[in-house]
Amino acid sequence: MAVRIDPKQGLTVCHIDGEIDINSSPIIKKSFDKLISQKTSKIVINLSRVTYVDSSGLATLVEILKNMRSYNGKMRLACMSPKIKSLFEITKLEKLFEILADEETAITNF
Amino acid sequence: MEKKDIRFESNSGRIRESSSRILEDLESYAIDEKTAFEIKLCVEEAVRNAIVHGNKSDPKRKVRLGYWVSEGVLNIEIEDEGAGFDHELVKDPTKEENILRNSGRGVYLIKKLMDKVEYSTKGNKINMAKKIK
Repeated sequence: MAVRIDPKQGLTVCHIDGEIDINSSPIIKKSFDKLISQKTSKIVINLSRVTYVDSSGLATLVEILKNMRSYNGKMRLACMSPKIKSLFEITKLEKLFEILADEETAITNF
Repeated sequence: MEKKDIRFESNSGRIRESSSRILEDLESYAIDEKTAFEIKLCVEEAVRNAIVHGNKSDPKRKVRLGYWVSEGVLNIEIEDEGAGFDHELVKDPTKEENILRNSGRGVYLIKKLMDKVEYSTKGNKINMAKKIK
């Protein structure tokens, strides 16, 4: 699992590569803790290379969102595979997160 | 598939090992990618619950994993040596008041993705079934 953070068009795009599960969640959380401590205002998380998410992974994404909301930061998720999107639909997390089909759409008007 | 029954110590490394073992044994059934993903997720959620919540990650306590295929249905039993829990007391994580909480989502996903889920009276054993053909 790897997290790549790129500044792009005035916001921050994070690419997660691999699985977001009980093993990788602490590493992902640590990567985002730095952005949150800097009060990064807008983050797009590109999930195109994410192959698996478990309930720990969903919890980690909820934690990142909650932490960003504490300083009025905003976060969008982009490029989810249908399998992973179905988990957001089942758990109703699709109502909590802004989920966009692709990175460009997520960046536009953010 | 004949019933397979294994016992292992409460070690988080066993979570992935459990799902991989079942999926490898299902190779001859040529299950689709979505079904394989759902089986992997539910097995890993249930084994994690058994290790972390059931056995409190005590390496001396064992987890038993049993699985078999009968009439196109994969059956999985996961049992821990803990005190058990009442699954009906797990709060619905999709309700607005719980959506930001980080508990109950694993149990909820298992209920939604498997065709049949039953817990033992004590609550330390889960039986799950999913049609694979």
